[in-house]
Amino acid sequence: MNWYPIFLREMIQFKKKLFRLGYIFTSMMVPLLYLLAFGLGLGRSIQVPGGSYLGFLLPGLVAMSSMNNAYNWVASGLNLSRVYFKTFQVLIQSPIAPTSIMAGYVLAGMVRGLFASLMIILVGLGARAGFQLTPLFVFTLLLNCFLFANMGVLIGMITKTHEDTSTYANFFILPMVFFSGTFFPIDRMPAVLQAVVLCLPLTHTNILIRKTALDGQGITAILVMLGYALFFFVLGARKIKNYSE
Amino acid sequence: MIKLEHLTKDYGKIRAVDDLSFQIGRNEIFGLLGPNGAGKSTTIKILTTLVKPSGGRAALDGFDVVREPLEVKKRIGVVPQENNLDRELSAFDNLRIYGLLHHLPDLEQKIEEQLRSVDLWERRKDNIQTFSGGMQRRLLIARAALGGPRVLFLDEPTIGLDPQVRREIWNMIRRLRAQGGTVLLTTHYIEEAEALSDRVGILSRGKLIALDTPANLKKMVGEYVVEYLDGEGNQLTRMCAGREDAECFLREAGIEVRRRRSNLEDVFVKLTGERIEK
Ligand SMILES: Nc1ncnc2c1ncn2[C@@H]1O[C@H](COP(=O)(O)OP(=O)(O)OP(=O)(O)O)[C@@H](O)[C@H]1O
Ligand SMILES: [Mg+2]
Repeated sequence: MNWYPIFLREMIQFKKKLFRLGYIFTSMMVPLLYLLAFGLGLGRSIQVPGGSYLGFLLPGLVAMSSMNNAYNWVASGLNLSRVYFKTFQVLIQSPIAPTSIMAGYVLAGMVRGLFASLMIILVGLGARAGFQLTPLFVFTLLLNCFLFANMGVLIGMITKTHEDTSTYANFFILPMVFFSGTFFPIDRMPAVLQAVVLCLPLTHTNILIRKTALDGQGITAILVMLGYALFFFVLGARKIKNYSE
Repeated sequence: MIKLEHLTKDYGKIRAVDDLSFQIGRNEIFGLLGPNGAGKSTTIKILTTLVKPSGGRAALDGFDVVREPLEVKKRIGVVPQENNLDRELSAFDNLRIYGLLHHLPDLEQKIEEQLRSVDLWERRKDNIQTFSGGMQRRLLIARAALGGPRVLFLDEPTIGLDPQVRREIWNMIRRLRAQGGTVLLTTHYIEEAEALSDRVGILSRGKLIALDTPANLKKMVGEYVVEYLDGEGNQLTRMCAGREDAECFLREAGIEVRRRRSNLEDVFVKLTGERIEK
């Protein structure tokens, strides 16, 4: 339960933001724009195996939004509290383990990621785009939030300024949005690029989140995602443990 | 209670703390003085697990600050020089999160007690952002004292506080000591160090250049001070061992002078060659 005060603090803040006018709207903006531009515009000319393009796109947008929001909330929140507000000092000086600090932030990031996804899921259900909430879908979503919240902790711990967090986002997060199978199946890409893209975590989220049943490829995807999550968790926790001003 | 052995901290080429060794006893109020950049805050940060030392060792209640940080953290309360309150939260929530992080029992009651003691209970629901500088400072002190820590670190605790509140903070510090606590404080207010400290250490460029009771330190540099103006109107001072010396100097100089008892500031100026009060 050591993670609880950290989680609680983030949630108090999140709740406050929620009530601020326009917050929900802004967080909906990006995925809705993609939905309109790609789903209705471009989408008509894209052929996807089995079913409509919208049915293909929606899970991809859920993966993308949950990634963005889980990552951003944690990376920028942690960076600000470390570099600017200095509130991170209070956590370091409290008798709690680095993994508890980690867990508090990760859980908060997951809530943020899930919240953003929920909006798109509601749109998807409303649009009747052949889109179903299966247990595997929910599991993938949770795992994806977990993964990128962990990445957020690591980046939040190593960035020196707040701008750096968006630099990392532009280098690692944004390319994944476009190449990891959010908007079109990755098998449309040249083989070399496919091999590269298969190393990216979001690719596996996109593979898994569109499956109706778990198969070999799905299990591989889970293992890759868990591997990344573990990697970020271990590095992030070590950064917190070795923290020194 | 606190033990430093050859403690050193380098920031690149800057040696912020240079081979510090001293001890602070249980139930002592220890004042750390020194000019800007002397290494006071860095020393406190090392002792409170925020900065890892480059060399030497430090222990609190027998627990090494690097190897057993969790045990150290259980025993300390910290008032940092720089405000690190959660500006997005209310005063109450700031203390609540802190109390939860420290597993404090009877938290609500403790929070009320502390907020009342710094006269912020009525403002408990307000956002920190709406607090004046002095109110934020008081809240920082209330937060540090919340769990009744065995060792309280205060880095310039009363900076920006009005005289009345400052006196109240002094009483809080004394109360904590009366309850068996140990206090390490830094300050630029000499009268604060004199009023509170059992012993005073003077830091200059990361090194400890004097350590004693305020009375002994004053004796060391001379108990009397002659202040006089030179031809251009600059104030000069002369330290004298006793009253006779001071009077002798007065007669010889044959100028308009003022004689007073020495204070810790004189100790400081003499030892560091720098003025302390900002
Ligand atoms: N994070 C840091 N990075 C680099 N140098 C630092 C850092 N923190 C402190 N220093 C340097 O270490 C030295 C000691 O700083 P410190 O803050 O401990 O002084 P101080 O005695 O608390 O001064 P003040 O009275 O101004 O608060 C200074 O030269 C400062 O520039
Ligand atoms: Mg300082």
